[in-house]
Amino acid sequence: MGELAIEVRGLRKSFGTKDAVAGIDLDIAAGSLAGLVGPNGAGKTTSLSMMTGLLRPDAGRILINGLDVWADPVAAKAIIGVVTAEARMFERLSGEEMLEYAGRLHGLAAAEARTRVAQLLDVLDLAADAKRLVADYSTGMRKKTALGCALIHNPSVLFLDEPLEGVDPISADVIRRLLTRLASSGSTVLFSSHVMELVEQVCDHVSIIDKGTIVATGTTDQVRGGKTLQQAFIDLVGPRTTDEEGLTWLGSSSS
Amino acid sequence: MARLLVQLKLRLLLNALRSSTAAQTSFIVSTFFAFILAVGGFFVLTLFRGSSASVDLTTVVFTVFAVGWLVLPIMSFGLDGTLDPATLALYPLRTRPLAVGLLAASATGAWPLANLIALLGVTVGLARGGLGVLVAIVAVVLQVLFCITLARLVITSMARMLRSRRGRDLAAFLVIPIFAVYEFAIQVIPRVAAQGGITAASFRGVDSWLRWLPPGLAAHAIQDASSGRPGTAVARLALLAAIIVALGWLWIRSLSRALVTVDTSTQSAKVRRAAALPLARYGLLGAVTARFWIYQRREPTSLVYWVITAVIMVVVSISSIVGHQRHPGIVIASAVFGAAFVGYFHANTVGMTGPPFITEALALTSRRSLKAYFSGQNIALSVIAAPLLTGMCFALAAAVRQPSEGVTATAVALAGIGAALCLSNLFTVALPYPMALRAGSPMRQAAQGYTSYALGGVLGSLAGVAVLVTPVILAGVFTSADLPAVRIPVLLVCSAAYGVVLAWAGVQIAATAAGGRLPELSQVAVRSTT
Repeated sequence: MGELAIEVRGLRKSFGTKDAVAGIDLDIAAGSLAGLVGPNGAGKTTSLSMMTGLLRPDAGRILINGLDVWADPVAAKAIIGVVTAEARMFERLSGEEMLEYAGRLHGLAAAEARTRVAQLLDVLDLAADAKRLVADYSTGMRKKTALGCALIHNPSVLFLDEPLEGVDPISADVIRRLLTRLASSGSTVLFSSHVMELVEQVCDHVSIIDKGTIVATGTTDQVRGGKTLQQAFIDLVGPRTTDEEGLTWLGSSSS
Repeated sequence: MARLLVQLKLRLLLNALRSSTAAQTSFIVSTFFAFILAVGGFFVLTLFRGSSASVDLTTVVFTVFAVGWLVLPIMSFGLDGTLDPATLALYPLRTRPLAVGLLAASATGAWPLANLIALLGVTVGLARGGLGVLVAIVAVVLQVLFCITLARLVITSMARMLRSRRGRDLAAFLVIPIFAVYEFAIQVIPRVAAQGGITAASFRGVDSWLRWLPPGLAAHAIQDASSGRPGTAVARLALLAAIIVALGWLWIRSLSRALVTVDTSTQSAKVRRAAALPLARYGLLGAVTARFWIYQRREPTSLVYWVITAVIMVVVSISSIVGHQRHPGIVIASAVFGAAFVGYFHANTVGMTGPPFITEALALTSRRSLKAYFSGQNIALSVIAAPLLTGMCFALAAAVRQPSEGVTATAVALAGIGAALCLSNLFTVALPYPMALRAGSPMRQAAQGYTSYALGGVLGSLAGVAVLVTPVILAGVFTSADLPAVRIPVLLVCSAAYGVVLAWAGVQIAATAAGGRLPELSQVAVRSTT
């Protein structure tokens, strides 16, 4: 494994009595396209929020390219990009204004920001809708805009929470190609998902999280161990219920 | 169905109560005020006993309660946690039992109960004899039922409109006339009454037409039963019941439509201006200022806030504008209120911004960038607030025929805007709370359990601005005899400078405090709806 882009040690967070993240360790090499998979409520979003400095951990340490996110947030945040699950943006800005604002927030000069905005709009297939308000965008357009906002300052590490949730196949393809391209150029991408096929297809590194702990991590081939990732995942996380004999009333349409 | 929905409502109230200390505090505060309303309302109504105009006064009180039910859920701190019919649309429920259930759920809670108890004051104040008391109880129950049905009907009708962005934008502006009338009612009437402008007798004329409205029917039924006309009393109650049934029918129809009407997505026009973000030359400060400035123009809520600020300033001065009495300093009071509300409306920037704040939080890490963030907001707001409040001060001074007061009031307003922006920055960092969009309301409100935060913002902003502008008021009063050509420019420039210093201090403190609280602020933003 080469140089580490993301290094997580003993990360913990509890809400009341519930341990959302119960001590996770994670190593992601620079330049890899890594997937974080797990059932709903496993702690994916909580972990990503803590890694990106948006949620204060109870314990643990996170290094991004060697920079401690919680000891030196300024330096760490300058090199990361984040796409949150809901991709909520300033609804009353146009897509173009939103991207430019994101660039300006990250300290780009006005002219540079505008050049990058134009190129991103083009690549993301949003040029025709650039002047419409984000409020009137579809889910796919929002996700693409959010991705544009996260990429505009050319981050070396990109975090995405469920990037393809609710996105149509065409937009999904645009996003997927962009992520692959980013990783092959040396940047690191970590995204959470529960679409196993996607993770299997594009990721070179997979971590499975369940009940706030990492239950498996490694290259995609190591984790799936000769099975499909879907099967490996179900074997590891375990089917939630095996006893289906109780549902005698289901499917008979007799009642 | 009714029982199930009532249980659901109680469960929602209980769960909100269990969620956090803030929610518990809010619940206790809210219940306390409901208790005050119950006891106070009951007491006021009993005072009417023996008055020659007791039935007229009771009619007015009943009408005021009905208007309150109509207006408050739309306007203010979300006294009624409404069950959104849309969440129930998935289930195979017949509209009629669903409607009854939703009504019952609406009637559950501290405020409806307080309402009922308060109005039961008529059993002492107006009713005479056993029959009178019996009719009074029935009338009060019907009155409360009328209020709830009316409020539901309006909210469900509005909910249909609120599905599209355009409809929501339009509805936000409806808040302005409602707010103006409401403010006028609670500010002006008690004042005129205290000056002896309103006596029991002045309700005679009002009552001659109010008596035909549903609240009037309820009040007069009690009077009839107490003065030996049980037939008329029953007829009035029957008419009231018929009105309630009719409203209920309209509501059920509106509800069944609302449950199946699809989201009419807005086909919006494009943003006309071709250029990109303005103020690009000025770096981060320019970008943030541009963002806030665009939002002041494009977000209806922002426009509504500015109009409400102006309305509040008029309302504070109104008794001097329409009345015969002159209150020295009334325009200055208007200026203080105007500035304080500018502060309050922006005292929760993070919650108001909602999840998009994450985009900003990721970039705002250094103290320098946070200073740019708060300064940018303050610049965008003061560009609007300063001319608006100045214009209002001179207009009000002219309207109360004391033009010289306009100068002092403007000085107070300029310093007050600085004080308000300072406080709004501090509140944003120290007392952030999530905002939620409730069903049927065009305006976002403090999320369930955070009402006391919003209340704290209003009171804190008012008290803080009042204290901070005191030196300007004193300077204005003590120099009033000086040569105007010297006094006016010196006073205005010094006040504006004082305001700038206050705002600058606010930015410094808020930026330092926010640096350590960005994760917490981000969590508030994530929990808000936009």
